[in-house]
Amino acid sequence: MTRENFQKLSAALLLIVSFGLPLVLRSPTYLHILILLYLYAYLTTSWNLVGGFAGVLPLGHAAFFGIGAYTSTVLFLQYGISPWIGMVLGGIMASIVGVIIGLPTFKMRGAYFALATIAFGEGMRVMVENIDYLGPFNLNGPRGLQIPPLNVGLANLMFVNKEPYYYIILIMLIAVLMLTYTISCSKLGYYLNAGGEEPEAAKALGVNVARCKLIAMAMSSFLTALAGVFYAQLTLFIHPKSVISLDLSFEIAFIALIGGRGSIAGPVLGALLLRPVSDFSRIYFGHILPGLHLIIFGTVLILVMIFQPRGLQEPLTKAYHRLLDRLTEKPTEKE
Amino acid sequence: MKILEVKNLVKNFGGLRAVDDLSLTIEEGQILGLIGPNGAGKSTAFNCIAGVYPPSDGEVYFFGEKINNHNPWDLCKKGLARTFQIVKPFASKTVLYNVTVGGYVHTEKRAKAEEKALEVLKYIDLYDKKDMKAGKLTIADRKRLEIARALATGPKLLLLDEVMAGLRPTEVDKMVEIIKDLRDNGITFFVIEHIMRAIMALSDRIVVIHYGQKISEGRPEEIASDERVIKAYLGEEYGVS
Repeated sequence: MTRENFQKLSAALLLIVSFGLPLVLRSPTYLHILILLYLYAYLTTSWNLVGGFAGVLPLGHAAFFGIGAYTSTVLFLQYGISPWIGMVLGGIMASIVGVIIGLPTFKMRGAYFALATIAFGEGMRVMVENIDYLGPFNLNGPRGLQIPPLNVGLANLMFVNKEPYYYIILIMLIAVLMLTYTISCSKLGYYLNAGGEEPEAAKALGVNVARCKLIAMAMSSFLTALAGVFYAQLTLFIHPKSVISLDLSFEIAFIALIGGRGSIAGPVLGALLLRPVSDFSRIYFGHILPGLHLIIFGTVLILVMIFQPRGLQEPLTKAYHRLLDRLTEKPTEKE
Repeated sequence: MKILEVKNLVKNFGGLRAVDDLSLTIEEGQILGLIGPNGAGKSTAFNCIAGVYPPSDGEVYFFGEKINNHNPWDLCKKGLARTFQIVKPFASKTVLYNVTVGGYVHTEKRAKAEEKALEVLKYIDLYDKKDMKAGKLTIADRKRLEIARALATGPKLLLLDEVMAGLRPTEVDKMVEIIKDLRDNGITFFVIEHIMRAIMALSDRIVVIHYGQKISEGRPEEIASDERVIKAYLGEEYGVS
């Protein structure tokens, strides 16, 4: 078997397993955990366009998630517009906000950029908590919005069972992974990486660093908003603390940093590792230590940063390649 | 034809005048050297020309077009490339990746950008190391990588900021050969250099600046015997009187 065939085979196997899982796994709880796992992998991959490729650390992505969730929910509740259309509109809204936020903040470096984005995300949450009516739109302040589960079906992105949600988020995840892979091999990907690592050198090589970052930000916030819509339709109840929370922004960054920023596999590996920790610590220790998962995340993050500063994807990809070598090449005899 | 013309360039940093009334021209196909003691304003002059700093006063013309307030990336697309005194490789990426970034200037296609990058890497003798991480290169190779990246953008004028500092004598000779060969292939050079042996061997003409002002200009042998230049480098008491 050649190396390429083996890689194709393992990818196909992975696809079959992930698509076939709901046929075996009947428990809605476990399906829900998996749905959230994919959702976070999706969110982190979207975040990675800015946080990984462009080399900055945005910590306010929950705001875009919230913009998506609120846009589609308000449109659905007040005007009966399908959440699928809400996805597009919410995405566009988030892109516009993302670019407006990016214009001044991309001039900042390191921690200052991170702090500015935290402030933006938190500001957004406090605003929504204190606004009942934004013009004609009813945001209902801190009480949040509830979507009555009527007219279930694909057209309204609303289902009784978990399986359809599972497939939708799985397809979204695969699509976003393919998109980021394509970008990483394109001119934009090269320019983002160059501008993130050495902005002065990149500019001298013809890269308009600020414009590339804004394009990445627009894409990233658009994709994040789509996840917000999905989440709103999954839980059918959103409120500021659930969709615009700082915890969400931080968890995305945790997953990315531990998995490996700037790589394609990093966000998925990070989510695979951290989401179960988060869910099971909430199930088993939620009543004793409600924030236990964050303590675990912090410890893991410190360890990873000390021993594998590029994230866990690096040693894992190396191990995978070594495995490939061993499986595909016959041990050659030394002459 | 004049490829670059600098007229009465001034750059102030607060109360400090780093470049003071500097004028010079470079003809197409020439190698112009820029020398001067530490802190004379050489790199600042480069940064003003390359669009990093806007000049406080004066004009810069590239192929007759005024480029005072152009961005570095636009200048690069027009054919004005530069290297940095302190090398700035994209350290976590491979050598090929580094050069491909430059190769993307005139194309959207990765294949074309990489083709250009490989061509440059072969030419500059870094092809064997194309898959190495740029951060793991030796200083000599990093300097060559700086030039390779700039060459991949297809420049007409290349500003080299001390690309020979820190190199061994044999490496310096090699670099001189490379630059001369590139000039013969139609690239004009504006070179800052501290290694006198190299700049004398390389330059068609040399401009000397001191405290931001031009104190001498001429062919290398004229500069070497110019009293003002010797005084600037060695101090007043060393004048050949």
